[in-house]
Amino acid sequence: MPRVGWLRIIALASLMAAVVGLQVVQAAHPPLPLPTDSGNMLYVRSPAFMKRAALSYDALVADIYWIRTVQHYGSTKLANDKKKQYDLLYPFLDLTTSLDPSFDIAYQFGAIFLAEPFPSGAGRPDQAIALLQKGLRMRPADWQLAQELGFVYYWWLVDNQSAGEWFNRAADMPGSPNWLRPLAAVTLAEGGNTATSRKLWTQVAETSEADWLRRQARFRLAQLDAMDEIDILTRAVQTYRARVGMLPHNWLELVRVGLLRGIPVDPDRHMLELNPETGKVTLAPDSPLNPLPDSEHRL
Amino acid sequence: MHAIETEALTKHYTTGFWRPRPYPALDGLTLSVESGEVFGFLGPNGAGKTTTLKLLMQLIYPTSGRAEILGKPVGDIGVKQRIGYLPEQPYFYDYLTAEELLVYFASIFGERAAAARTRASELLDEVGIGAERRLQLRKFSKGMLQRVGIAQALINNPEVVFLDEPMSGLDPLGRREIRELILRLRGRGCTVFFSSHVLADAEALCSRVAVMANGRLSATGKLSDLVAFRVRGWELVISGLSDSVLEQAKRNGHVVRETKLGEGRYALELPLAPAPERTLAELIAQGAHLVSLNPLRDTLEDFFVRQVTASAPRVSDGLATKPEVA
Amino acid sequence: MRTIGLVAISVFRESVRDKILYSLVIFAVLMISTSYLIGQLTAGQDVKIIKDLGLASISIFGLLIAVFMGIGLVWKEMEKRSIYALLSKPIRRGEFVVGKYVGLVLTLFINLGLMTVAFYAVLAYMDLTTSADIRASWAAPATDIQMLRAVALIMVELMLVTAIALFFSTFSTPFLSAMLTIGLWVIGHFNDDLRNVGGYVKSSVAASIGKALYYVLPNFAAFDAKAQVVHAQAVPASYLVLTGVYGLVYVAFVLLGAVTIFSRRDFI
Repeated sequence: MPRVGWLRIIALASLMAAVVGLQVVQAAHPPLPLPTDSGNMLYVRSPAFMKRAALSYDALVADIYWIRTVQHYGSTKLANDKKKQYDLLYPFLDLTTSLDPSFDIAYQFGAIFLAEPFPSGAGRPDQAIALLQKGLRMRPADWQLAQELGFVYYWWLVDNQSAGEWFNRAADMPGSPNWLRPLAAVTLAEGGNTATSRKLWTQVAETSEADWLRRQARFRLAQLDAMDEIDILTRAVQTYRARVGMLPHNWLELVRVGLLRGIPVDPDRHMLELNPETGKVTLAPDSPLNPLPDSEHRL
Repeated sequence: MHAIETEALTKHYTTGFWRPRPYPALDGLTLSVESGEVFGFLGPNGAGKTTTLKLLMQLIYPTSGRAEILGKPVGDIGVKQRIGYLPEQPYFYDYLTAEELLVYFASIFGERAAAARTRASELLDEVGIGAERRLQLRKFSKGMLQRVGIAQALINNPEVVFLDEPMSGLDPLGRREIRELILRLRGRGCTVFFSSHVLADAEALCSRVAVMANGRLSATGKLSDLVAFRVRGWELVISGLSDSVLEQAKRNGHVVRETKLGEGRYALELPLAPAPERTLAELIAQGAHLVSLNPLRDTLEDFFVRQVTASAPRVSDGLATKPEVA
Repeated sequence: MRTIGLVAISVFRESVRDKILYSLVIFAVLMISTSYLIGQLTAGQDVKIIKDLGLASISIFGLLIAVFMGIGLVWKEMEKRSIYALLSKPIRRGEFVVGKYVGLVLTLFINLGLMTVAFYAVLAYMDLTTSADIRASWAAPATDIQMLRAVALIMVELMLVTAIALFFSTFSTPFLSAMLTIGLWVIGHFNDDLRNVGGYVKSSVAASIGKALYYVLPNFAAFDAKAQVVHAQAVPASYLVLTGVYGLVYVAFVLLGAVTIFSRRDFI
């Protein structure tokens, strides 16, 4: 085989150098602008069509939609655009769960983030319910779906009656955990209480596979802790008033009297505030735990 | 200037992946061919004939040695204008017709469209392809492809033509036609270098031959020098011969051996002496009838077999056995 | 030069008589036509869908043609030995390779042209059958001429893919050539990720390798202006020129490599 001549080698090397040089120039130049709504296009929203189009690759296509769901949620949540919306969240979740009805995490994601008010979620509990009911139609004995339905009624729609009924139905289903029945009873009897809420959110925090969900659950639990803290402090303030005859001016006075051991802080290490005129205890205004759920949304 | 000249032309292939060893497809070939000769390049399959032709066409590159055509090194573009080549088992573009192929090749030589078409037409006539010339080559039989192959080798009226197994795939009529074609080429002063393992063709056509075996040149020279055309005996075909007469003749030493052709009909090999006429007369006197009487000469085949078996492969000198060549 | 043209024309003639090519082109034209139907499935997005699907079809089918013709181009001749007779004629091996390339590019150009015509025809039909007030809401006209810029970039991209396929076909089997060519095309689309490998992986060796590859491997992502033209965003002429020159220089490099290898190999 004849040798490669010097001239040839130089020619090849020069061309490669030119290629690299041009690539450097390309890298320095601004790239083509990315269209603003790229990634936000959902051409086909009909699950029926998609099921046919996916041929035998339903699970794979469901995975792809799930990935897009999480990306859509994440990028919308982190975006600074005031006009941002979670409008594709429901269609994505609908497609994912229609293609793969056993996609548990998708249901859980939908149950929470469809119902969560803006800016944490879509603020559409009705969509959450629709999603979960669709799931139950396809898998009538899935206790998790029933429990999540109950959760939506309980936390976001503040409908204890329906919530309790759904918890009971979930408890009837095979494989359901044994804390569901008493939970149902308490909900039906007393309505909302922090123990129930804590239980439900702890479930999510401990068992969920999705990062966003665990984060949201821990946030809610922190809020619940803060609310408990506020309750305790409010009772301390009342005790002080009963003993001393007037409202305390600040936390130090409570400490001096021995009702408190130190300056109270919330789970996020922000100081809690005492209003000396009304005796109300609130979170610091800059605490990230604001706004706390009030009784309209949930205890 | 020789038409073709090689000097110590060698081609080694490497076989074996882990411990590559050289396989010598061609080992130190030195020969020359004069203008106007019809040169026969003979040898059994695997002797290195096709390798030599490919080296001459620069389809492969030599490991060492040199080769020249018309005084220039092989591969010279100017020389390619003046030569033609028929590859072994030719295959051309399926989707072209015979006419289109020849016109394409003619245009590569620089012929303009009309001249190319005329030339193509002439050649197709000369090799005996008629109306099939408008069919796509995918529909051609082996014999027809061979004819097209010869046509494309001659498209540029070459001074030197290289033919690798030109008769392969042809029926007896076809072989005769191509033989006549080669003689016509010689008549025009063209040098013809052809390789073959069919000796009858070489005997009929060549002035000089080379015999290859196992990658080496075994013998080369004028046909008449290599093959002693002396008569070594006679062949007598006779009928009406009885067994007893035959036994008698054999005992006398008048018949060397016999081949029975039928009832009473034999082909007898007679020695040089006594004169065959006398033996014939004796047999006729005893009731036999003459069919034919012919001299027995050494043929190229005898020479060939002697040469080739003398150069049987040596197994133990570290060289590899023949690889699977694609 | 002349011989390059002759080989190119013979390649083109072969492609015209190649049934596989026909089916690909017909299928592409069908795809583009049915995009019209698919457009009806989504509310208010039909023009965008037709444009997206049409450009994607042109790109994908062009890629298939480039790869599958490119890998067979030289290999088939060597395998079937039709190359023996041809190379004994006064033609240099390099002229042969370049001629094959030019012929294939010509074929691609014609096919791309056919598909683009079909594409614009469907869009023109869409234009005719839509009411004026809906048309007013479109970001760009249905038969927007600027989309040709994206098609031009696709053409250069395919010229590079063809050169790469041809390069591999000078020494490797069709299957392997296809895998390698498609592999390079895929990697070339993730060029940005190569550059930023350092951000994903802790090892600095990996980061340097990633960066080196980013500069050396063909950057196919740069040829993609489809999303931009559909949204009627400008693709500046300077970008076209820079990317076009990049593509052509890379083609020259690959072709020279192919010629070098082809000129030196044995045809056993």
